Amino acid sequence: MIARTTARIRGWGRDLMDWMEERTGIVSLTEKLLYEPTPARGRWLYTLGSATLFLITLQFLTGILLLFYYVPTTDNAWDSIHYIMTQAYFGRLIRGMHFWSANLLLFVIGLHMVRTFLSGSYKAPREMNWVVGVFLILIVTIMAFSGYALRWDQEGFWAWEVGAMISSYTPLIGSWVITTLLGGDTAGPATLSRVFALHVWLLPAVLAPLIGVHLYLLRKHGEFGATFEYSERLAALRKRRQMEETFGSVEEDGQVADAGDHSQEG
Amino acid sequence: MPEELQKDPLTRRQFLWMGTLGTFTGVVLTVPSAVFVLDPAIKDVLLERSDVPAEWKEVGSVFEIPASEAVEHLVEFTQKQTYDAGEPAVNGTGAKVETMTNAVLLSWRDGKLPSVLSTRDEGPLPKTQIKELERDLNALSNHCAHLGCPVRWSSETQDILCPCHGGIYDINGDHTGGPPAHGLWHYVSRIREDGTILVKHEFYVQQKGQIGPGVKTKPYVV
Repeated sequence: MIARTTARIRGWGRDLMDWMEERTGIVSLTEKLLYEPTPARGRWLYTLGSATLFLITLQFLTGILLLFYYVPTTDNAWDSIHYIMTQAYFGRLIRGMHFWSANLLLFVIGLHMVRTFLSGSYKAPREMNWVVGVFLILIVTIMAFSGYALRWDQEGFWAWEVGAMISSYTPLIGSWVITTLLGGDTAGPATLSRVFALHVWLLPAVLAPLIGVHLYLLRKHGEFGATFEYSERLAALRKRRQMEETFGSVEEDGQVADAGDHSQEG
Repeated sequence: MPEELQKDPLTRRQFLWMGTLGTFTGVVLTVPSAVFVLDPAIKDVLLERSDVPAEWKEVGSVFEIPASEAVEHLVEFTQKQTYDAGEPAVNGTGAKVETMTNAVLLSWRDGKLPSVLSTRDEGPLPKTQIKELERDLNALSNHCAHLGCPVRWSSETQDILCPCHGGIYDINGDHTGGPPAHGLWHYVSRIREDGTILVKHEFYVQQKGQIGPGVKTKPYVV
């Protein structure tokens, strides 16, 4: 009885997945997105990129939530954060996640970069992914720095002031850079508006597509070291894909299964 | 060779047209947004305007500054930025006027009390004495010449110190140690007949030992 019910439910599930796959390609897409061979040696070190992606996603999500309360004006910025921390339900948790995961993010990016460097993953043909990564870390650093200033407390204010003054030492265009960052020749309401615009709109808008390019390039070339360490597995995978394209899905031993059965793991 | 690779060959005329149209579209799309964002830089750097109106503010009296000490005075400047632009608001209530607080470090050149002050402790002061006092007065910005942290007078060491990166200045604001590239900024100042000191939100840098206004600059004081 139980066995029959389980089988029936499994059958429905499979039908539903087949129906979705036929119309959206969701199953094959998920397989394509989730499965990536990584080198056997130092396998856990190859999760640092995913950890970075997770933390960035967490930043986006908690950041959106904080925007329900944060007020980007010199009069109210600090008070609105004080409200989040003391009055709003789960305010401490949401802001704490945003704050601590931002700190952790920079740390994990550092580790990710060290791993990439030490494993030689920046070498041909992956140079452009390293370059994109450098732009990503720059943007994340400016985001962390501008997030610090958004609190508009003594620490954040002076940090932004010092940062802006550093920018004023840029050769030839120093005064243009600092006045653009301050929104004038003094720090005031315009400064906070600018920091807000940078932190919440401009930089995330640049960051998101660059993350896309970073991931696309990773998938295009695969993890470094994966090809020779997994050559056998890759050969088998290619053979299977070829079979699938010709006959539909195949069993582990290469036998052709029922057409349209995609419940097989990739 | 490249021509063979072209799926849809272009004539010279078409190429030039595309180039012209592309440049025009590019300019129309980017210039307004870039100028919009750079508005403060254009106004400050190119047109040499300031967020702070050039008005004189009182910061104490010459009779209050002791020898061998720098005393700190706070001064409120009107600041016009974005919604605090000082223009009447649409609803007719008038925009709120935003101010910013700056600190001024007042001292006498080399910490020596001017001879005028050893004989008198109140105004009115004659013009010649005012000139002498103005020459000896240091009205320094507390904005460090390195990266803008607020500096303080230290009585024990007879120095002006920056807490951030260890910039050191003497009582005249001249750079004596640490990373700053030059001495502290001096406020443009004057002294009234009754001995009141007035400062404007304008600054100059003096060479070491120089007396009187040096090169006018913007310190981006906060």
